[in-house]
Amino acid sequence: GGYTQSPGGFGSPAGTQAEKKQRIRSQNIVPCTVSQLLAAEQVDETFRIRDVEISQVTVMGIIRHAEKAPTNILYKVDDMTAAPMDVRQWVDTDEAGSENVVVPPGTYVKVAGHLRSFQNKKSLVAFKIMPLENMNEFTTHILEIVNAHMILRKNLMSASRVPQSFSSAGISDMGGYGGGGSLPVNGLTAHQSQVLNLIKNCPVPEGMSLQELKHQLHNMSMATIKQAVEFLSSEGHIYSTVDDDHYKSTDAE
Amino acid sequence: MGDIHEVPRPRIATAHLAQHIGQPVCFVGRVEKIHPTGKLFVLSDGEGKHTTVELSEPLDEELSGVVEVVGKVTNQATIMCASYVQFREDKSPFDLELYNEALKIIHEFREYFPFG
Repeated sequence: GGYTQSPGGFGSPAGTQAEKKQRIRSQNIVPCTVSQLLAAEQVDETFRIRDVEISQVTVMGIIRHAEKAPTNILYKVDDMTAAPMDVRQWVDTDEAGSENVVVPPGTYVKVAGHLRSFQNKKSLVAFKIMPLENMNEFTTHILEIVNAHMILRKNLMSASRVPQSFSSAGISDMGGYGGGGSLPVNGLTAHQSQVLNLIKNCPVPEGMSLQELKHQLHNMSMATIKQAVEFLSSEGHIYSTVDDDHYKSTDAE
Repeated sequence: MGDIHEVPRPRIATAHLAQHIGQPVCFVGRVEKIHPTGKLFVLSDGEGKHTTVELSEPLDEELSGVVEVVGKVTNQATIMCASYVQFREDKSPFDLELYNEALKIIHEFREYFPFG
């Protein structure tokens, strides 16, 4: 369960064309500390943490404060690396019920959202806020932060100076997360990340077929690919188009 | 709760207390014992080393399991507690030893996990 909200990550009505283009370049969700987000530099619509481009991020911390307004809930999330960060979650005013339940202060949560800056103040617009049920996830998260930022930086140093998106398979395959991809990185296993990236980069209108995925992913069995597709579809990352064999990314341009 | 929650609080283990005298820190450990007055309790870290946590007001609840303390390190290398939270372990036990290993990593790779 969780507190999934519709605006935010996927085709948010607030997203301009420029923003969508920028999202294509930084299409990964990067685990970060609040201190890293506060230190991120902004150039036009782009944020960079030590030259690494970021947009969608995850943070984990404890809720210090929660304030409910008619259209949104404002949380202050504290991960000890800096002062608590403002996290805004838009409320679906059409739906009554569980979507509008406020997570109480003192709860450890995982937040997935977009970094924003307004009048020089950073905040997050969350598309997902989930209380942690297993605190070992917190330990994993802090390790993932170090791993992700280290690899992102390495990719940046070794690649050419032209800004480019890197596939999250880069994060998943290196640093001991490879093989069967059993340990999730950024919420997705290595297999899921690879499948998602291929689907995202497919320019064809009807999306990518399972056959084409199998053709490109030699190391994965059709069963594994189907499992990944099913997971990604249920999480809202992809959707089927002409039939159940063709998929497009919900985040594609 | 005061200003201490507005500043960086490095995550530390018992071995690091001496390096943070007078500074705000965040300490996670397992409750070993509670003083009868309720004004101090002892936590063990992932290496089994003990840290004493002092409170300005006595505890008003039962404390057990894994606790995360935010506070300032005193000259005696104890922690003067500003706030604490108990980690939930209803679904899964918290692996304190693994957390200790993670601390080593974030200290070694400070540039990828900055405090402040």
